[in-house]
Amino acid sequence: MPPGLDALKHIVVLMMENRSFDHMLGSLKAANPLIDGVDGTQWNPDTQGNPVYVQPLAEFQSQLDPDPDHAFPAVDQQIFNGDQSNPRVASMKGFVQNYFQQQQDLAHSQKIMYYFAQDQLPVLTSLAMNFAVFNRWFASIPGPTLCNRAFAHYGTSFGQVGMSVFYPQGKSIYERLQDAGHTAKLYYFDQQSSSLEVVNLLQHQPQLFATYDQFIADCKSGTLSDYSFIEPNYSDHDNDDGSQLASDQHPDHNVQAGELFIASVYNAIQSNPALWATTALLVVYDEHGGIFDHVPPPACTPDGHSAGPADTQLNYTFNFDRLGVRVPAILISPWIPKGTVVGTNRVFEHASIPNTVTSHFIGPYPAATPREQAAQTFLDLLSLPVMRTDSVVFSS
Amino acid sequence: MNEAGRNRTKPGSKGGPTAAIQTASLLPGDYTSIRVPIPPPSAFNKNRPAGCLLQAQLRHFHHAESARLPKEKRDGRRPEDIHTEAEAASYIAAVTKVLHPRGRKKSR
Repeated sequence: MPPGLDALKHIVVLMMENRSFDHMLGSLKAANPLIDGVDGTQWNPDTQGNPVYVQPLAEFQSQLDPDPDHAFPAVDQQIFNGDQSNPRVASMKGFVQNYFQQQQDLAHSQKIMYYFAQDQLPVLTSLAMNFAVFNRWFASIPGPTLCNRAFAHYGTSFGQVGMSVFYPQGKSIYERLQDAGHTAKLYYFDQQSSSLEVVNLLQHQPQLFATYDQFIADCKSGTLSDYSFIEPNYSDHDNDDGSQLASDQHPDHNVQAGELFIASVYNAIQSNPALWATTALLVVYDEHGGIFDHVPPPACTPDGHSAGPADTQLNYTFNFDRLGVRVPAILISPWIPKGTVVGTNRVFEHASIPNTVTSHFIGPYPAATPREQAAQTFLDLLSLPVMRTDSVVFSS
Repeated sequence: MNEAGRNRTKPGSKGGPTAAIQTASLLPGDYTSIRVPIPPPSAFNKNRPAGCLLQAQLRHFHHAESARLPKEKRDGRRPEDIHTEAEAASYIAAVTKVLHPRGRKKSR
């Protein structure tokens, strides 16, 4: 076993909200051609048939308002652009026309093609350039937040393609770990933001939860659980500490606030030398939020569920046999070679999270869905024979 | 920003952007220091209409509240009557305090 994997005691996942790979990290193609980002040639037709090219004109806030549609039918149009042939071609050419539907404003619809320049996102881009960035990490479903996040917790959404309440028919990664004598924790930002996993986990297993303040304390004291999942702040609100900016980066929340939050999570781990040496941090986004990405989502192993037309709001049944749109994902550890770019031949999705955590801490888990069992694991990226002594440090 | 990732930008709030996220790492080695910009105060808008994610979260909290709590312990607000992010946060906090009382900072 590589020494980094042998030393690994903690896995931490920070799941952000609703931004595509090209939107956040696409600019890095200029810095490293191995990163499958954008170079200005990618385009979508507008509603008049004119090409709209990607441009580095993304703004931190107020640009993607209204929130781009990312419900199942909208994402279907973004990916297939109305193609009804059999088999359909995932052209990734329907983003502008789909966004146009929300305001009927030609100029505004073009903003869905904008991406951030590298220097606008110093935290995300420096982590990507210093550790491992995934060229092919996709949302698990071509749909919205909650069904996608379910894949991170359960390895399936139990047939859900939307935001409805659902009840799991299998064990979460947290229950699996506890049953096997390991520790796991979900950290939500504060009580005003709380968790998106309320109906199942917060309601029935509140002992799994803590606030983000506790995460900071656990990092300092070296008492972090084997597995930690962190939820950002989902709203602008006041609490006892003052006014809190949403840090989830969900449009139209401020993207810089999310940068600060990612830096905070990273710094909390990196500043404890013992923890830094024994922890892998994954920063990943739950779905693309309706924002352009140029890579067609591939087919995948079905998870044994299907969603009929009443759920998809389209005239076909979805068998969970295709992934959602590509999202940013970065794995951070001092055991990863600097500048690692995970190739286009390796496909990951959110079911990779429970599969990786289960495989590392427990071992084979036959009760996992076929989809989860087929999902790639990522800890082989901790491949260095000796731990790195260089790193980045964030300050405000 | 402080080390807890809190982004205080509104005048009158406690604290303010600080350098508390700076890390005094004990590890030897080469470190690249990267400055992270602070969002402007105008970024904060607790009266922003609650978006689709918050609306879904509200429905889930209402579902959990109805399933879990007797009527006398329920908050009483309905998701459809909650319109802003601040109102959503207030309701979510009220139910979270019942479902997860350990989440209160001072009681931990």
